[in-house]
Amino acid sequence: MSLSTRHPGPSPSTPPPVHPASASVSHPAAARDRPPRGNRPSPAAVALVVGHKALGAVFVVWAAATLTFLIQALLPGDRATLLLNQQTGQVQERTPEELAPVNEAFGFDEPLIVQYLDFLGGLLRGDLGISYTLYQPVTTVIGDQIAPTVVLTFTALAIAWALAVVLLVLTARRTPWVSRIFSGLESAAAALPQYWLGIILLVVFALWLGIFPVVSGSGAAGLVLPALTLGIPLAGFLAQVMRTEFERTLDAPFVLTARARGMSDGGVRLRHVLRHSLLPGLSLTGWAVGAQFSAAVIAENVFARPGLGRVLVTAVNGRDLPVVCGVVMLVAVIYVITNLVVDTAYILVDPRLKEAA
Amino acid sequence: MSTPPSPSAPGLRTTPRTPRLPGPRTTGLAVLTATTLVLSACAAGPGTGPDADPEQAALTGAAGAGPVQGGVIEYGHLQEPNCIFGGWIQENFTARQVLDNLVSHTEDGSVVPWIATGWEVSEDGRAWTLRLREDVTFTDGTALDAEAVAYNFDYWLDGGNGTAAAHLGGFYDHSEVLDEHTVRIHLSAPFSPFLSTISQSYFGLQSPTALQTRTDEENCTEPIGSGPFTVKDWKRGEYIEFERNDDYDWAPQNARHQGPAHVAGIRWNIVPDNTSRYGSLLSGEMDAIGEVPAVNIAQARQDYDFTQYITPGRPVVMSLNTQRGIFTDQQVRQALSLATDREANVASAFLGTVPFEPSGYLSQTTPDYDEEAAAEYPFDLHRANELLDRAGWTGRDPDGTRTKDGRRLQALVVYGLNSIITPDGNTVIQNFQEQARAAGFDLVLRPGTPSEFFGGAFSTPESYDAQVGYWTSPHAGILNINYRPSTEEAPNGANTTFLDQARVFETIQSALQAPTPEEVTERFSQAQHELSELAPAIGLYTQTNTLAVGGDVTGLWLDPAQGGPVFHDAHFTSQDARDASGTLTPDTADTPDTADSADAPAESED
Repeated sequence: MSLSTRHPGPSPSTPPPVHPASASVSHPAAARDRPPRGNRPSPAAVALVVGHKALGAVFVVWAAATLTFLIQALLPGDRATLLLNQQTGQVQERTPEELAPVNEAFGFDEPLIVQYLDFLGGLLRGDLGISYTLYQPVTTVIGDQIAPTVVLTFTALAIAWALAVVLLVLTARRTPWVSRIFSGLESAAAALPQYWLGIILLVVFALWLGIFPVVSGSGAAGLVLPALTLGIPLAGFLAQVMRTEFERTLDAPFVLTARARGMSDGGVRLRHVLRHSLLPGLSLTGWAVGAQFSAAVIAENVFARPGLGRVLVTAVNGRDLPVVCGVVMLVAVIYVITNLVVDTAYILVDPRLKEAA
Repeated sequence: MSTPPSPSAPGLRTTPRTPRLPGPRTTGLAVLTATTLVLSACAAGPGTGPDADPEQAALTGAAGAGPVQGGVIEYGHLQEPNCIFGGWIQENFTARQVLDNLVSHTEDGSVVPWIATGWEVSEDGRAWTLRLREDVTFTDGTALDAEAVAYNFDYWLDGGNGTAAAHLGGFYDHSEVLDEHTVRIHLSAPFSPFLSTISQSYFGLQSPTALQTRTDEENCTEPIGSGPFTVKDWKRGEYIEFERNDDYDWAPQNARHQGPAHVAGIRWNIVPDNTSRYGSLLSGEMDAIGEVPAVNIAQARQDYDFTQYITPGRPVVMSLNTQRGIFTDQQVRQALSLATDREANVASAFLGTVPFEPSGYLSQTTPDYDEEAAAEYPFDLHRANELLDRAGWTGRDPDGTRTKDGRRLQALVVYGLNSIITPDGNTVIQNFQEQARAAGFDLVLRPGTPSEFFGGAFSTPESYDAQVGYWTSPHAGILNINYRPSTEEAPNGANTTFLDQARVFETIQSALQAPTPEEVTERFSQAQHELSELAPAIGLYTQTNTLAVGGDVTGLWLDPAQGGPVFHDAHFTSQDARDASGTLTPDTADTPDTADSADAPAESED
């Protein structure tokens, strides 16, 4: 089934997705809207699953850190030369006398394995190192910038879900032309380049209408346009992946049963059908959180917002290894946590999955 | 670092300013005259002491009520520096607000007193004696005396500032404290553009106490100088706040007024996106912005107080590799110089907003620029073809590329796209590639990422045939940086053409050592002619810096040494505009919004 592919989350141990539609016709939820808490898994099973996932999470973070470290350290080009050239804006060759103090200061002349072990040791102590170019501890660099990015990412996510759900419930399987138009709009939204959308929103709402500030900064009024910039395309994606499931479920026998019981159309859509279509949306959300962190740089640039996206891009260009590793690991951690939450949400939404777990 | 060199630096061209909402008095800025060529560079040669600056009178002339005091100027800037002070041009801009220099560069290319009140150079040109003001203190209370100056020279050259070291390295020997307020700088060889060199903010003076006792991080984010502002707050990714130094009373002689800054502070907002930055000026959120996007320049000239500064130094040029490949042949280099219509190319790529630069060696605003030498390679396809024929490139491949002994007339052109070369500059390079086909050249373009470029991937003779780049400098001494031959004991990575010509080098040395400004000019002219004959580089366009100021603020000017905005003389044009402006973040105890307090600076101080 198209959307049954869950996002390749961190834990290889996650259960294979059970697609509701492929389950037996006597859908449990249809039986009588029994709340899922009726059959919770045993505590031991939960602990096992959680332990498994935690291990997987640690693995993912370690792998992300290691890969980032290796890529940054092994890219062609000498790091000491890079630092010196960046300090003056030149692209020239440097003499050994110029390079020696820089290599000494940052330990670039140590064998790679020593640098790597130092790096891992620092990680274990919670020390992410000092930025090569900002002279600040990486934890400070990240600490200063994380709040605006998290706020932006999750606001965008909330906007995306709200838009997607409203669209679905109101327009799925209505008069054919209504459904088709909105389905088309969703595809269009999903395809919108964020940079373009951001500029359009900026020009219309900040410049022409003057409703929002052009330079958003970190204030509340400045959050709206950046969040819409990221949220609208994501809403398109979410609505698209949920629509197929939503429409199929509308045809399911238990829906007919519900209607036969005299349930209103709105009630059927909200209480029964929506629930079924949430799963693919949740899968997508697990991916979207990570993706939003990287897309944030676009909204941050257009609206002049502070945030991790810009920090990361600058650091990558400058090969400021400690900062790059710090941000990548942070994103990995957030990603892992999100996927754990999503996995949990699956079980809440569809109690049948607990058996698979 | 987001890298480098963003456009910047000094040159000066002012466009006619439209007087919008004239403030209580006319802006001092109107005085920036459209000087392009200046002969007496390195002007403050021996003995040219603190002569009266002719502009001074004109500037401080207007009497009556002084400028509005107080308020916070919102300024929108393209790139964020890594530190307030450093070797990158962006750091030069921020350092200018916080640090003072020994001398100051004026629009006409001369150098006037700032912290140094006078100077003289020894007969042999190797010792510069500078007399300092006696009343200057850094904002941490440390005295700015001869000891402090000597300490700073050692600090810059010893890793404190890479760009300062590129300028003076090889010349600076040591500093000698003669008395509390006199310092002598000893050079290992004469260096005529010495004063011009130290007028750049890469040579901003910092408190030795602060440098010695504080962490790198503190000195990076909050350097202690004696300048008109101090760093109050820096929210990375968002803005830097500068707060007025109320004790400031030692502005350079070419400042528009003496005494503390008129405004209470500046919020230096980082607005990287072009549309947003210009939009923030349109919406009134910013009082002024830098780096006006090319598409908006025509409108900005009409609606705002617009200034364009043409950076002196090496313009944006294509350096040809003279050590390896097809450009080892002088005739081939000359042919490529003639093969394309560079002027039309630049005009179309930049919509006419950025001047074409015919010289491959100096930009037109650099003192000692030689117009004649610059114009030696007009567009002449016929001559280009002749030269190539004579050089033996007579065969033709099916695609029209010339060949010789089975080799194609092909060259790899590398450049740092979006770090060193802007998207518009990229268009110039692509146009150039297209036009050069007519003469039979096959140029292969290779834009590079910042990390490969700054990592040195394209820094050796083996790695490219041509490279595009620039280097800002307020004087023609940049030729010594770019054309000193690299040797075993003294490698010169800045020689991107790898040219190894003793004669040119000697001419440049004689210019650096010439005793009078006239001789300096003559020798630099000679050097430009000699280089032009050798044709190791092809001029494309000038680096420019732009500033657009809205009607609520006036008095901003661009520092003639490097092109950064100077806020010391800026003020609001009305009380209402001042009152409508924001305040600095009140996170610390003292929020001295001394707005219209008594310390209005004396208007005419002469």
